[in-house]
Amino acid sequence: MTESADIGIVFWVLSFVILVSAFMVVSLKNIFHCALFLIMCLFSVAGIFVLLDAEFLAAAQVLIYVGAVAILMIFAIMLTSNLASRKIRQVNENVSVGVFVSVLFALASIILIAQTHIWHYKTDFTPVENSIVILGKYLMIQYVLPFEVVSILLLASLIGAIVLARKERS
Amino acid sequence: MSSMDITFPAFDLRFMAPEIFLFLWALFVFAYDVTSKRKSSTAAGYLAMLGLMIAGAILAYTNYGQGYGSMFLFEPAAKFFKIIFLGSAFMAIGSSFGITKERIINHRGEFFGLILLSTVGMMFLSSSNELLSLYIGLELTTIPLFVLASFFKDNKLSVEAGIKYFIVGAFSSALLVYGMSFLYGLSGTTDLVQMKINIAMTHLTFKEIGVILVLANVLIIAGLGFKLSLPPFHQWAPDVYEGSPTPIAAFLSVGSKAAGLIAFAKIFVNGLYAFNGPEMAPNDWGILVGILACAAMILGNTVAIRQTNIKRMLAYSSIAQVGYIMIGMVTMNDLGIASVGFYIFAYMFANMGAFAIVAIFEERTGSCEIQSYAGLSHTSPVLATTFAVFLLSLAGIPPLAGFFAKFFVFASAIKMAQADATAGWLYWIVGVGLLTAVFSLYYYANIIKVMFFSKEASPYRVHYTFPSFGIVLIGIAGVIIFGLYPEPILKFASDISLSFGFLP
Amino acid sequence: MSFWPIAVLELYPVFSWLHDLLASIGLPSAWLQPLIYLLLGAMIFGILSLIALFLVWWERKIAAHIQQRFGPMRHGWHGWYQTIMDAVKLLQKEDIRVVTRDKVVFFWAPVICFVAAFLAYVVMPWGDGLIVADLNIGILYILAVTTFTVISLLMAGWGSNNKYALLGGMRSAAQVVSYEVPMVVSILTVIIFVGSLSMVDIVKSQSGLLFNWYIFRFPFGPIAFITYLIAATAEVNRTPFDIPEAEQELVSGYNVEYSGMKFAMFFLAEFVNMFTVSAIAATLFLGGWNGWEFIPSWIWFLFKTLLIVLLLMLFRWTYPRLRVDQLMEFAWKFLIPVTFANLIVAGIFKYLGWYW
Repeated sequence: MTESADIGIVFWVLSFVILVSAFMVVSLKNIFHCALFLIMCLFSVAGIFVLLDAEFLAAAQVLIYVGAVAILMIFAIMLTSNLASRKIRQVNENVSVGVFVSVLFALASIILIAQTHIWHYKTDFTPVENSIVILGKYLMIQYVLPFEVVSILLLASLIGAIVLARKERS
Repeated sequence: MSSMDITFPAFDLRFMAPEIFLFLWALFVFAYDVTSKRKSSTAAGYLAMLGLMIAGAILAYTNYGQGYGSMFLFEPAAKFFKIIFLGSAFMAIGSSFGITKERIINHRGEFFGLILLSTVGMMFLSSSNELLSLYIGLELTTIPLFVLASFFKDNKLSVEAGIKYFIVGAFSSALLVYGMSFLYGLSGTTDLVQMKINIAMTHLTFKEIGVILVLANVLIIAGLGFKLSLPPFHQWAPDVYEGSPTPIAAFLSVGSKAAGLIAFAKIFVNGLYAFNGPEMAPNDWGILVGILACAAMILGNTVAIRQTNIKRMLAYSSIAQVGYIMIGMVTMNDLGIASVGFYIFAYMFANMGAFAIVAIFEERTGSCEIQSYAGLSHTSPVLATTFAVFLLSLAGIPPLAGFFAKFFVFASAIKMAQADATAGWLYWIVGVGLLTAVFSLYYYANIIKVMFFSKEASPYRVHYTFPSFGIVLIGIAGVIIFGLYPEPILKFASDISLSFGFLP
Repeated sequence: MSFWPIAVLELYPVFSWLHDLLASIGLPSAWLQPLIYLLLGAMIFGILSLIALFLVWWERKIAAHIQQRFGPMRHGWHGWYQTIMDAVKLLQKEDIRVVTRDKVVFFWAPVICFVAAFLAYVVMPWGDGLIVADLNIGILYILAVTTFTVISLLMAGWGSNNKYALLGGMRSAAQVVSYEVPMVVSILTVIIFVGSLSMVDIVKSQSGLLFNWYIFRFPFGPIAFITYLIAATAEVNRTPFDIPEAEQELVSGYNVEYSGMKFAMFFLAEFVNMFTVSAIAATLFLGGWNGWEFIPSWIWFLFKTLLIVLLLMLFRWTYPRLRVDQLMEFAWKFLIPVTFANLIVAGIFKYLGWYW
């Protein structure tokens, strides 16, 4: 059993888990279960990052998506009494159109990517040791302007969220 | 790739002075509104307008240069579009005093401050020549707009508009980032100019690159198509325009659309233009966008005829207008780019003015139905006349600015088609454009007919409140002056093409 | 096949002996490494279970002595195997399942809680060379995997279909998400000086005695330590931040419907989590395994960790519980600003080079 075969198996297992759990997220009737499958999906994506030697990204993915986003989602589900108890329909009358467009797009991308025969090309790329240092330098040196603009973006979303969610005193 | 070669790009904060000033001013507006004891609707708004004016003055005195590598380039195109962003934000805020007076009791400062923050995002976006900062600028543009669209929290339509815009915006951003990731994967760089070179180099050894390029193009066109409301990605626009506060609908239709246009031009013209030749990778995004532009003109102009709500009608009209603008975009030469600039400039005055009148009328009557405009010329002749002028400019009647805008767009396309034998399809697009322009006259003239040729006088007499009507006058001045004397703006707009590597 | 290097320097002779032994009985070589990892995992699991059992006993003794009682006295010397008997009892008890439960969620909640509690020990430096894997994202990995504890609490709260459990789960989610921010920022204050997230690097950067440890790096060291300790207390839902299981209000919070084995898993995980946050504090602020050379490094680690555990236990039995709104206000209006200010001060000190 070679190294690439091992990673290949792990990759296929993770991909399968991602796809199945993502499908569960959009198809299950119990929205709490959807949220749990979303967590599983995001966690498996972190697994893919580990396979790609991007450990920092994997940890950040778990910390942000599982640790913060998904928990807040579950929190919101629990706080919304209607959502928590009722079985909801995940589809509406446009489902056939949506499925059609999705399948069309998926087929188009598969056909396009298959034409490239991309799997014949091997890169000599070796993952960077201790990628956090380089990542940090990129963020704080080369890409510091977008990084700062993101802080403006977060400020704007924070203010917006407060404005929308706050109870009005009349 | 060692950590040694990560260095600061050439940077100079002076070139981003308008953005930095406007951001700080937005914080000042937030802080002022929180701390002021008097809950006055006007002060924060006037402060925001003052800030936009000062930012404009700073912009006028800023030299061209590199603010932060390719992530912030201050160049003619950026300057031109920044003027449009500042102008549309100014007119949106100016026309929102009346309509927000009774419907927004709290958070007025946030309303105006978020418009400023969205403008900051647009300004960053228009200066960026790099995928990452481009995307972040686009997000900073749209996220405050999600909030602004649903600012009337007690109004179901407004909340619906906010949610719809949010979901569509998030979805389109995802498509955009997916497409951008393909471009990054093909080129290994986020710098658009470098990307052009890298993809060309890769193409020498890896011919199949063109196939993935097609995928990337489609995804980016879809992502930006949502922002520009190009069919088939347009369906959110009428609902969002109808539900959101009228000045925000105006800002969406001009500012946000101009931001989408400059992003489109940056990615496609700066980043991918080189691959249009026959020996290069197949990259026929021009034809694809041309088809979408035709769809926009046909669909926008025909569906607008059936609308009974003025905001929905203006939404479909703005879908059609984007179709005309995209003709200039796919023309892909110096004239085409210049005509895009001139078009959006003329469109800003006409559309912001029309929405300002809708806002004034809505404030007085609470209605946006076209029928309630009946007989307006009897009671409020000035308002009816100005509205007629804006609508005629949108329809493209000489000698208003809208006519020259359409004229330049068609002229550049025809000139390109004459010069380049492979660009013959441009004739077809121009033909569709001319035909649908005739259609559009029908629904614009219909409103004028309702206002002027109704036998009964309107029960409403509209008061000419100061800031809103001032905006209307600015719009009228712009539409007429730049219609009679378009040369200075045209000259300025032709400088835009310098930023995209064309010689004027 | 090595995703990460195995850095068990001191244990290396044991492992090579094991490797040879397993190879000599004819196991294929591809199985050896996974098998050794499995053994290592089992070993850490055993040690942690013992520690957790000890902590339960210790907590009861401390609580009793604070309240002028003796606590468990019957089983052995001062009741030393009381918790072992308790565990045996819990394992034998009937596994009561509520009829209205959410079957899958109810079943998996304790399992996830239990597993998440042990995951952090992949990167925990027990001593000089005693670490399973020295990941370069060390501390971040711990922060990431411990988030699964919250999810398990939410699942338990939801799956039980009980209002007390649901409230407990929701409270814990709000609390943990809020206190995660000051905790991470306090940790970052140390990371600024280490320049690495690896747990080994963190310990090595404090080699030497007392004044090389980050708790004594004035002025931000002690502040970061205190804020970390407060946030960590809240993270593991202990008094004064134990509103998720406040007995008087919520019976016992998220685990009210659990019994027998499943309850034991929650209970054990709780104590393992307490040990984890204490171990992180010992590693980050008290120099980890560093100390006098003549005492083995793992004793130092255990000693420092248990010292902080003792501190947490004293908190529990001497402080009153906070109300929900006080708890949130304390996190967002006091702790987060303080930790951020502290981080900025630390950054300035680092920039100016004012540290030793």
